[in-house]
Amino acid sequence: MMEELAKVPWAVIAPLIIVQIILMIVALIDLRKIHATNGPKILWVFIILFANLIGSIAYFIVGRKQS
Amino acid sequence: MRGFNILLQKEFKEAWRSWKFLWIPLVFALLGMSDPLTNYYMMDILNAVGNVPEGFEMLVPELMPVDLLQASIGQFQTIGLLVMMATFVGIISKERANGMATLFYVRPISFGAYFMSKFIVMSTVSFVSIFAGFAASVYYTSILYGTLDLGALLVSFCTYYVWLLFVIAVTLMMSASFKTVIATTCGFTVIFLGQIVDMIVGMFWTISPWKLPSYGILLARGTMEMLDYWWSVIITVVLTLIFINIGIMMMKRNASSTKI
Amino acid sequence: MTTLLQVTGLTKQFAEHKVVDDVHFILEDKTSTALIGPNGAGKTTTLSMLTGLLKPTAGSVRILDGDLRANIGFLPQYPQFHPWLSALEFTEMAARLNGVIAKKAKVEARKTLEFVGLGDAQHKKIATFSGGMKQRLGISQAIVHKPKLLLLDEPVSALDPVGRREVLDLLKGLQQDTTILYSTHILNDAEEMTDQLLFLQNGKLVEQGTLREVRQRFDEQKFVVEFGSEEEAKLFASPSDRVVGCYVYIEILNEEPTMKKLLHRLSVCTYTIRKVERQTASLEEIFMKVAKKA
Repeated sequence: MMEELAKVPWAVIAPLIIVQIILMIVALIDLRKIHATNGPKILWVFIILFANLIGSIAYFIVGRKQS
Repeated sequence: MRGFNILLQKEFKEAWRSWKFLWIPLVFALLGMSDPLTNYYMMDILNAVGNVPEGFEMLVPELMPVDLLQASIGQFQTIGLLVMMATFVGIISKERANGMATLFYVRPISFGAYFMSKFIVMSTVSFVSIFAGFAASVYYTSILYGTLDLGALLVSFCTYYVWLLFVIAVTLMMSASFKTVIATTCGFTVIFLGQIVDMIVGMFWTISPWKLPSYGILLARGTMEMLDYWWSVIITVVLTLIFINIGIMMMKRNASSTKI
Repeated sequence: MTTLLQVTGLTKQFAEHKVVDDVHFILEDKTSTALIGPNGAGKTTTLSMLTGLLKPTAGSVRILDGDLRANIGFLPQYPQFHPWLSALEFTEMAARLNGVIAKKAKVEARKTLEFVGLGDAQHKKIATFSGGMKQRLGISQAIVHKPKLLLLDEPVSALDPVGRREVLDLLKGLQQDTTILYSTHILNDAEEMTDQLLFLQNGKLVEQGTLREVRQRFDEQKFVVEFGSEEEAKLFASPSDRVVGCYVYIEILNEEPTMKKLLHRLSVCTYTIRKVERQTASLEEIFMKVAKKA
């Protein structure tokens, strides 16, 4: 299995990881600045960190309170 | 179009400050990456995950670069449109429901200007998004499968964008006409149910906005009946213009329902 | 005096229910008018029709020289702002949407924010504002383009006493060069700055006029005398007077003779007299009377 993983060209995977990291960082920055969220803030921190890709996207769609 | 520039600035500020110009394109980029990647590494993933029997050969059809572009557009058509529409469907109805529209509606602005400022912002976000999505898809396709013809790519991109403008016009028209919940239901029905209906019984006709995304691919493959294509484009553009006008009319008519 | 706004036969009907019913009034230039009435009397609906947001079922609103929307500033009861804009950005945008050119809009926005007391907070995001600050911002967006007519829906009702005082003083500062129409159910506020009163009840305009006119019409002209004990009060009162505890209420038929007669009676009697006064009804009492009459 390790051999198979070693065959994976990391140059291909890198952009994917970069996009994920940008999304996560932006979501966290916004979470820090925003006045109020739908649901407790700390919950969103965990969602963004541990469900990273889906979590960040979910935060932008339903987490941000507009008014 | 009184106040158009100022309203446009306001809408851009809003989209920018709520990160819409960043996260929606990134979502599309991820969607664009996913198909070339998963298809290419399908065997590796299966081997890594499961107990693939010795000597098992999956019958994987030989994929052409254009097949992967088609798969990526399929992703945009489902998750991509869902995200885009869900984000923007409240852009007029929510402003009315929470009363933020009141301080604008009592000023001597034109409703056409207000509607169009929202239309332009949403279409700009969409443009950046599908650009990111196409770029990601094409990048992976080209390093894993082979390059696409630039001309073919351009026509399918432009065709897809015409379809997106139609989706945006539907979304905003619904937002101008109804409350957010109803607008969401109606918008999704027109776009997604429309796709399904067009898929199931669509063999009886060849001209329809819902066929445009697949026509873009057929065009890239060089197997498109040009007459059907142009008629579909014309119908789509005309419907888009009609929906914009209905949207402006409904926005004006519903101005009095803004919370005071 | 010139007439700035003329409202004729204004009516709004939702289904079978007439929320505003055949309202007529005139606003003279540079005067302040209070629109008074209990909750649900149709004050907000009337104001919405004046802003042009709501289309009247019948009747008309005419403003001197033309377009209504270009000449008004409006403050809703609970103004809502886009929270991601700063106070300065919002006020500047408000000015520009009303046709103030870009360069001037920024200067005017700064000046107006200074005037309403938000000078220090002008660059802060509205999301961080308190209720009182939002109300001030609401006023600033309504006046930044110097409208001829200012329409305010319950401008001070939601504020605490200090905030109310400050906002009332702000509005008084605007009285000289703006025509103001504001609704309120708090009568002390109306008493403080008003040239004209409009009483609205169940959608009907039941009373209107200057504060003085309305007062004369509804004030019960009475003298009140307080005695040392209930006994004394009863003994003093003539049959036409009303006695409540130690108080005797004497109706004034015609001012001078009544007063002279009363003073004479008081000077010759031997009871303990605590207080003699001429009663003027507060707006509150007038309001109750108008409400009862209608």
